Parts: sequence; structure tokens; C-alpha cells
Amino acid sequence: MKKVNEIMNKVKIKTTINNRSYKLDVLPNQTLLNFLREELGLTGTKCGCEIGECGACTVLINGEAVNSCLVLVPQINGKEVLTVEGLSDGEQLHPLQKSFIEHGAVHCGFCTPGLLMTAKSLLDENPDPTEEEIRNAIAGNLCRCTGYIQVVEAVKNAAGEY
Amino acid sequence: MKPFEYKFSDKLDEILHILSQSGTDAKILAGGTDLLIELRRKPKVYPGVIVDISFVNELKGIFEDNNHITIKPLSTHTKIFKSDIIRKKAYLLSEATSQIGSLQIRNRGTVGGNIMNAAACADTVPPLIALNAEITLRSQNSVRSFKLNDFFIKPYKTKANPDEVLTEIKINCLPKDAKSTFIKLGRRNALSISRLSVAAVLQQDEDGKIIDARIVPGAAFPTWQRVVEAEQMLIGEKPGIELFRAAGAKVSEVMISYTGRRWSTEYKEPVIAALVRRALERCSI
Amino acid sequence: MEQDKYKIIGKPEKRVDVLGKVTGKAKFADDYNVKHQLYGKVLRAKYPHARILKIDTSKAKNLPGVEAVLTADDIPGSKVFGIVVQNQSILAFDKVRYLGDGLAIVAAKTKEIAEEALELIEVEYEVLPVVTDPEEAIMPDAPKIHGDNNIFVHHKVRKGDIEKGFQEADYIIERKFKTQFIEHSYLEPEAILAEPAEHGGVRIIGSVQNLFSSRRSVAAALNLPLNKVQIIQSTLGGSFGGKDEVMTAMCCRAALLAIKTGKPVKMVNTREESMLESYKRHPYTMYYKWGIKSDGSITAMEIKIYADGGAYASMSPYVTWRSVVQATGPYYCENVKTDVITVYTNNNYTGAMRGFGSPQVNFAIESMIDIIAEKVGKDPLEIRLQNGFEKGAITATGQKLEHNVSLKEVLLKAAKEIDFQNKWREYKSQSDAPIKRGIGIACSYRGVSLGAEGTDAAGTIVSVQTDGSVIVSSGITDMGQGAQTQMCQIAAEVLGITMDRIVFLNTNTSRVPDSGPTVASRGTIMGGYAAKRAAETVRSTLMSVASEMTGYDVEVLDLKDNYLIDKDSGERLASFSELAAQCFKKGRPMFGFGWYKSPPTSWHEENGYGNAYFTFVYGTNIAEVEVDTETGKVNVINFVSAHDLGRAINKQTVLGQFYGGVAMGLGYGLLEEFEIEDGIPKQLNFDEYLLPTAKDIPNIKAIIVENEDAAGPFGAKSIGEPTNEIAAPAIINAIYNATGKRIYELPANLERVLLGHKLTRKGERGSVQKEKEELIIESCKIK
Repeated sequence: MKKVNEIMNKVKIKTTINNRSYKLDVLPNQTLLNFLREELGLTGTKCGCEIGECGACTVLINGEAVNSCLVLVPQINGKEVLTVEGLSDGEQLHPLQKSFIEHGAVHCGFCTPGLLMTAKSLLDENPDPTEEEIRNAIAGNLCRCTGYIQVVEAVKNAAGEY
Repeated sequence: MKPFEYKFSDKLDEILHILSQSGTDAKILAGGTDLLIELRRKPKVYPGVIVDISFVNELKGIFEDNNHITIKPLSTHTKIFKSDIIRKKAYLLSEATSQIGSLQIRNRGTVGGNIMNAAACADTVPPLIALNAEITLRSQNSVRSFKLNDFFIKPYKTKANPDEVLTEIKINCLPKDAKSTFIKLGRRNALSISRLSVAAVLQQDEDGKIIDARIVPGAAFPTWQRVVEAEQMLIGEKPGIELFRAAGAKVSEVMISYTGRRWSTEYKEPVIAALVRRALERCSI
Repeated sequence: MEQDKYKIIGKPEKRVDVLGKVTGKAKFADDYNVKHQLYGKVLRAKYPHARILKIDTSKAKNLPGVEAVLTADDIPGSKVFGIVVQNQSILAFDKVRYLGDGLAIVAAKTKEIAEEALELIEVEYEVLPVVTDPEEAIMPDAPKIHGDNNIFVHHKVRKGDIEKGFQEADYIIERKFKTQFIEHSYLEPEAILAEPAEHGGVRIIGSVQNLFSSRRSVAAALNLPLNKVQIIQSTLGGSFGGKDEVMTAMCCRAALLAIKTGKPVKMVNTREESMLESYKRHPYTMYYKWGIKSDGSITAMEIKIYADGGAYASMSPYVTWRSVVQATGPYYCENVKTDVITVYTNNNYTGAMRGFGSPQVNFAIESMIDIIAEKVGKDPLEIRLQNGFEKGAITATGQKLEHNVSLKEVLLKAAKEIDFQNKWREYKSQSDAPIKRGIGIACSYRGVSLGAEGTDAAGTIVSVQTDGSVIVSSGITDMGQGAQTQMCQIAAEVLGITMDRIVFLNTNTSRVPDSGPTVASRGTIMGGYAAKRAAETVRSTLMSVASEMTGYDVEVLDLKDNYLIDKDSGERLASFSELAAQCFKKGRPMFGFGWYKSPPTSWHEENGYGNAYFTFVYGTNIAEVEVDTETGKVNVINFVSAHDLGRAINKQTVLGQFYGGVAMGLGYGLLEEFEIEDGIPKQLNFDEYLLPTAKDIPNIKAIIVENEDAAGPFGAKSIGEPTNEIAAPAIINAIYNATGKRIYELPANLERVLLGHKLTRKGERGSVQKEKEELIIESCKIK
């Protein structure tokens, strides 16, 4: 029987991560989450469950919120990835970041990067969401600290600045 | 994740070729929302080859043609939910896809994956069966079609061969005057697996008599099917709470005739009846 | 007036650690990596109860890339740890007692190699019978977990004459209540990085809640003095009481691997490993028997509680002590007999979790009080107002409440906010539609801080830099609740500076004094009081320098908005930075250390009475629900949470505690359950262990009640746990109001609400396991 690890091919991909282009040779048997954290040192994206339930690893691929634990690295070939590290414009915080700070939406902060990314994908598409639309959007981001109330307020308020 | 060989192409022909070479060792990767969870669990039978079809554009899109809708299998739940065609002509599928998992899952998970994974709680399947879906599978040397309700053997087991790719899902548009709904019962209001669900379609004539009725429960039967016994009770009748109650009770009865009385029957028996009644009520307002 | 009293206290100052948390720069434990680090993994038990005959690690050791495979034999010092009872093994050596027990640890070049090595470790077991039900565990012939008695704690409260109390009663009501295991579900799984240190010791950075107790255990295991074990807290991704012993075990294991290999070792639990190994909230089986008069007054309470301690003692002695003190609720009763018995089983061990023994008893108490209200024809608010404590009340433990007892204030404020009584009456007699509404109320009193559990003291350091910036550090830790921010606000208030001048240093055991565990909602009251004293020390130095500098009397000077001012004219005499520089120049200390020891408490364990806590807090929750009577689905549609916390140091973080506490309580009431069947847990990740999502939490109206308490800094008491302890009973009472069916066992999931009992798949497919009939006895005595 052939041993798969002996024949495992690296895959050449081109991708854009936080507005920077990369040409990479990647091992295919890793999730985007692990790749971001361990290969690129982008540890802002968090690992909470690895099965797409908690949303702590949410990043944007071509603007859409996805669980990076459920994406195989080669699947970002030709795509644009945005993580929490790419959210602010240099020193200038993104309206969502400011609003999260202002509204006390950050407690322990572990779910925060994921929530920010989900909220960004929502506001990019729908700059004036209702509370229900906000709750619907962030329902895939579990938070144990906040009870979500201040998060919803923060997103609603950031929408004003969009 | 253990090592595997990763193969991909953006052309269906090449994918089919890869699959024909790979044998039973290969697994198809589409949205990844089921497969990556499975790989992480390190199953005993671990795939040697992962064939990534997510770049194949010809497997994407939703098209309307002559009273039919063709849904390409890589359509994500989000795409289906947002499709005007689906909302107007296959409303219950729109409803079903809007309730799957979370935004992140809906953005990745595909209808094709939902069908091929064949979990008992797959939320697109009851609506698709209610829409009389037909699916097409292709391998390098064959094209096969199935009525979707004939495609499943048991949970997580379908009639597909390992070298086949689901290439098309075809449904009939609902008639203009038909009403449809999908009711999902989960333990919480999002990120939820269907404890039970019901897909229903009703069409009434000008006198208000029911001329078409379709009822497909989810997470209730060993495999999905329309409950013809209950549907028949409705045809020719006018909508009414007692009628719908009786239809619900019939669905319960048929469910138990298939599953026998099990640990969960005490709960499912009254609840599926109530959900069916509600679904029918919604379709007759 | 009140608003102007303070500059910083009470204001929604932003969290001092927030910037890093929104930019991704905050470093949580798993974000630390160093060159050449190894990855540690743990081999866990195959059976929930078995004798270990042999552990063969030779094959694993020979796997390329493996640098160490260790077992208990390799621990040079103490092989066991425990805060109260020292019987939890770092690595099991005689027996495994639950499925989360570790037997061996591996350090390897990659995670994958470490995992592969685990599979090569061969363990021979002698499988032992398993006991998982606390009431079975106390039987004489039950398998014994430790020693020869599974009962390891029995707390009592005795007051008055229980026989006499029941004789005086018109009705006697007996009920049985059960609660479930729940998981803390901090979003960040446990992680640490342990490095060998220059002096032969070890330095650990990680997601540790109670650094000092973990440090003691690491030192004991490695035979090191405490000063050679340094534990630094990384930004903590939630804890809720949960990152204590499980982290101690991880610290000991990683430290051992680091010392043995001479290399840094990283250890991270997957969610499954975390849920399998970590301790849970205690499940309680509670027998409540109350005697009441026909006017609704309570003549006797006899309470017997069995708590499942699981495999190890952990915090059980303390957790169940709080239960015994608070088991009667804030209600007058002359005759009380309470017993809380805690037993070992082969389940996950149970320990500290937000609430700490109160959520369980509050479920029973607040259900009982509603039951007696109905019995005597009163509404739930009336009965609480009738029986509830006032200032000067004597509690079940004989303690006289001398502080401002605001129970009725919080009850009335919450009830008014939502029009409780009218809604309650309306929902009681609603039409027969399948979706029914209900409203329910629950209240509580809660002892602040540790009480007579143990030594209660904490230290905080305020250090002014020569440029006028300030560093605050403390032995009290931040898990996300905002303790850092509260302490900084207190320091800022005292020093008259703005918050942007202050940085909080993550807690480091080698740099701050042992301040006990950050538990029991004591962060603000203890750490905050210490911060106040530390800042006051610095302030008095600064003021005397200021006086020398300006020639003004100290009395006419003040520090405000980063300036030294003339109190009368408001004239700015110098900037705070200039003052700091001057202070340094004059060689005066700019470093303040504050220590706070709580007021005295007492407890007589044998006779079951005492002044258990130095002060108490009071709260009320009201839930409004919609119950789908055809499916059992409950939606909470409205919620009011009112708490007297003394004073809110930061309104925004306080509100966060209100909301988060309710959300967690809602999960406890409706969704969450960590089921263990024959010692085998069934939910190991968030697909099956169901936390509330944003769509499950209603809008919550928070009512902050502030009756300053002399025991706390600026009058502040506590809020973290109170917010979490009464949401579930409020919801359960609301379900009853809607349906007329009472839930006696948590959580009120679909099946329990619809059928009145739980459904469990057990053994063969098709077999139905019903929970045993609940104990419901009501007797009307004829006199």
C-alpha cells in the first residue's frame, strides 16, 4: 500500500491576504485557520472548536464570512482573504472596532475577532441592518461573556458610520 | 489532519477523469462544511485523495427554464436563499436554506454537499423532494438520473458511486397559486440541527379545494419521502383545522409504521403531527 | 449630584485591554510561540474507573521526533494536588477515576507526532465497576473512588426546632429537584507555554485563572521553591471559574516536560479534550420540604441535597458550603435543617463555576416559593415580599443582616419595570392557543466574596512612572470580566488622572503578592479596595511633594484631570507629569502597595451556624417566555435583571455582567447539559453542547441598584455571579405560568417541557428510558 504522506504534493497557490498578495507552496492537509495562525503568524483569528460551530475563526473570503476551520488552504487559491489584522487602516480603526470599544462589546475578547469579521460582512452588504438581521448574521459566533446585547448595539451603531 | 493527496481542477471533465483514476480512495470536497469535520475526526477509512471541485464554475448557478429550475450543486445555501427565482418559484427551499446552521455555514455549505452527505437532518432534502427534484450524476463514462426520493438508501448512504459527481438538481417550479413552507424545529434558534422538520406544498383550485398536496417530513423517516397517505386525505377537500389535524396524525402513524416505537417516538409522534398541521395551515392562509 | 461625585468611578471608561482585543494583537495563551518549542499531549483514560496495572511507554519513546514520554513515576515531588483535599493526580498512577484522567504525557517536535506517540503507549487496566449516581454512591456496597467512603463533605445548617416548625404548619410541601452538569464553555480552550528558566525553575505563560494555587502545585510537583516557579497570565479568553484545577494539571504536566527536555513545551487542548477533562458545575439532587401556614409564612424548611463531586474533591467543599448557607433563600424561617452531602463518583469532577453552588439551590428555592404562593392563593411577588429579608433579619445560619438589605427594592423595581403582576394574572388564564406566554420571577441573596470559606485578602500595586504614566498590577486576575479596568479606574479616581495614563500588567506570580483566587465575585471588592489603598499611598507622597513644590498646604491641593490644582480656585499649579518628575527628583517613593483583608466572618461547622459572609448582595430576575405547547420549545422574549451591587465602578462592564450572566443562566435553564452515561460524556463539542446564540437571547433590561456598602471600595460589592444565579428559575417559573406544568429537572428542553420528563437513548435501540417519577408530596394537616 502506498503511503500517502510520501506522495503528498504541495500545492501552488496565489492568494491575497489582508491586501497583500502571496504566492505560496502549501501543504494541502491544513485548514485555513491553522495556516493563518501557524504559517503566517496571524494569530488574531482564534481557534475555538474546529468544527464550524463557534465562529471564533471567522474570516472573510471574497467578502463572505466563513469559518476558517472548515476551509482547506488550497481553497483560497485566487481568492481574497481578510482577517482581523487587516480590518483597520493602519492606525485608523475600522468603525466596527471603534464601536465595539465604545459599546463595551468586548469582554474576554476571544470571540471578538470573529464577531468583527462577521459584522463587517453584514455591513458591507447591508449598511443599515435591523436588529433581527444583526442577530441573524452573528448567530454563528458564540460568545459566552456578553449575552450579545452590547455586540448588537455596537454593530447597529457602527452601521451609522457606514 | 492526516496527509492526503489533493487534486483539483476548474473543469468538470478533468474532475471526472481524476475520480475515474482514484477509485474508492477519493473524497469530493465542495463546501467542506461536512468533509473537514469528518477528516478532523480521523476516521478509520481515511481518504487518500481529496478531489476539490469547488473551483468548477460549471457546477455553480441557478437557472430557470421552461417551468423548471436547475440548481447547480455548488450553489451555497446563501446563494439559494438569496435567489429571486427560488424565492418566487420554490419558496420553501428558500425558507429551508435560510435556517441552516449559521451565516458562515450557509456561505460555504452547498446544496450538492447536503444531498450527497445524506445526513438525516439535511434541511434542503425535504423541500427538494417536495419539489419533485431530479438529480443527475456523472462519471467519466456514465450519466445517471434519479428522482431524489429514490436516491437515498439510508442516512449517510446514497446510490452514488465513488467516481460520480452530482452535476445537476432539477426541480419543477411551483404553480403560481401553490403555497409552500418549510418548518424546522431545532433546540435553539440558530446553529441548530433539525430535531424534526416538515416541507409542505398546497395548491387549491378556484373553489378552494385542494388539488395538490405534498408533505415531506425531515429527521423523521429512515429516508425522506412524501407521505402519500396523508397527501391523499387532503386532495379534493377544503382546508380546515380538523382536516389538517387528521393529516398530521396520519403522518405520525406512517412514521411509526416505518420506524417502530423507539426511544424518541414518545416525543416525535405528537410533534410531527403538530408540525404537519402547522405547515398545512401556513400553506392555506 | 451623584454623577458629579466622582470623575472616573461609575463612568463607562473603555476597558484598558480593549485595543489589542479588537485588532487581533491581544495575546491569548495559544498565541505565544517560541523557537524550538515542543508540543505536549496527554494520554487520557480508556475507562472511567480502572486500576492501572502497567504503562509501557517504550514504543512511544522510540518514535522519531518524540523527546519525552512521562508518567507519574517521573514526577519528582508531589504526584497529587488539590486546594482542599490533596487527592487529584497530575498523572494517574494507581487508578483512573474518570475518563478525563491523564496517564502519560508526550513532548514531540510536532502536534501530529505527539498524537501518534499517544497511540503507541500501552496501558494495562483492571476495569473496575463504575458509580455515577451520587445517591447510589453512598450505598455501602458502592464502588469506592478514594479510600473507603465516597462521602467527602457534609455541611449542615441547624436553626430552631424543625419538628416544632412542621407541627405549626398548615401544609407540608415536599418536592425533588435535579440539576445537570454544565460546562463553563469559555471560548478559549486551555493552553500554556512552559519554559525552563535560568535558575533551574520554570516559567509558564497561559490561560490560568488562579495563578497562585497553580503555582503551589507546580512547585510541589517539581520540588521547587515558589520563587522558581513563575506563572504569567496571558489574556484570558473566559473562565467563569473554569480555568483552575484543569489548568493546574496542565501547568504541572507542561512544566514537567519542559524541565525534563530542557525545552519550551506548548500544550493546547482541543475543544473535545477540554470538555472531556475539565470540571463542571455540580449536578444537585435536592429534596425540599417546607412547612407553611395558610397565610403563606414559612414555619420550617428541611433540605437535603446530594451533590455529585465527581472524581476529585476540587472546590466541592467550598461550593457546597455556599449552598448550605444560601439553601433557604432570602426568606424568614425560624426552623431550618439543611444537609448538603457531596460524594465522589466516576463522573467528571465538579468545581467552581460562576454562581458557585447557588444556581442549583436557587432553582429549588425559587420554584418552592412559587409553589407555596399558589398553595395559599398569592401571587409570586406578594409571597416574596411577605417572606423576604429586611434589614436586621436573622438568616438561616443565625447571622443578623446589618447592611442595607435591598431585597424588596430590587423585587419591586424589577416587577414595576415589566408590569409583572398584571402580566402574571393575564397569562394564568389565557386561551387555548398552542403558543402560550408566561412570566416568572426569581430573587436571591448572595454572600459577597469568600466568606468563612477561607482567608480573604488581596494586594494591588500602583506604580507611578517618572513621566506621570502609571502601572497597576494585582494578584487579582482578569478573565474578561473587566477586573483590570475596575482597578485602574479606582487608581485613576484616587490619583486624579485619566485612564489613558494607566497600563495594567498581566498578573505575574513573581511580581505581585498572592491574593488568593479570583473567584466568588471578589475581584472588585478585594482587588479594588487594595487598588484604592495603593493609590492612596502614592497620592499622599505626591501631595506632600506638591506642598513642598508649591508652598501650599496639602489641604488646599487636589489632583484632577492630570493636574495638580488649587482646590479653591481650580487653578492648575502643575501637571501630574511634572509632579511625578519632581517626586522622583526628590527621591520619594512613587510606588504604592495596597492590601485589603476582608472584615471577619465565622462558621461553626459542627453545629451549622455562623456569620457566613461579611455582606450580601440582592437581585431579582424576571423572564417572560413563549412556550410552544406542541413542541416544547421555549423562547425567552423579555427579561429584566435588577441587582444591588453597592456601586458600579464601571457601568458598561457592569451591564456586560448583567447581560452575560442572564445569557448563561438562560442556557442553564433551557439548553445546556453535559450528559455522562456510565462515566462516558456524550457532548464534547459545541455541535452537541448547546450554548445560547444571539438569536436565543432576548433584549435584557438591566436595573442597576446602588446602595453603597462600607465593606467595598467606593461602596462597591459584587456582580459577576449574582447575575448568573436566578435566570434559570425565573424562566422555569415563567414556563409554569404559561403552561401550568412545573419543570423539576434542568434544563427545560423540548422533551421535558412537552412530556414532563427527559428522553434518553439507552442501550439497545428502541428501548425507552424514562426518568424515575419525581417526588411530589403535598399534605394538608388537619388540626
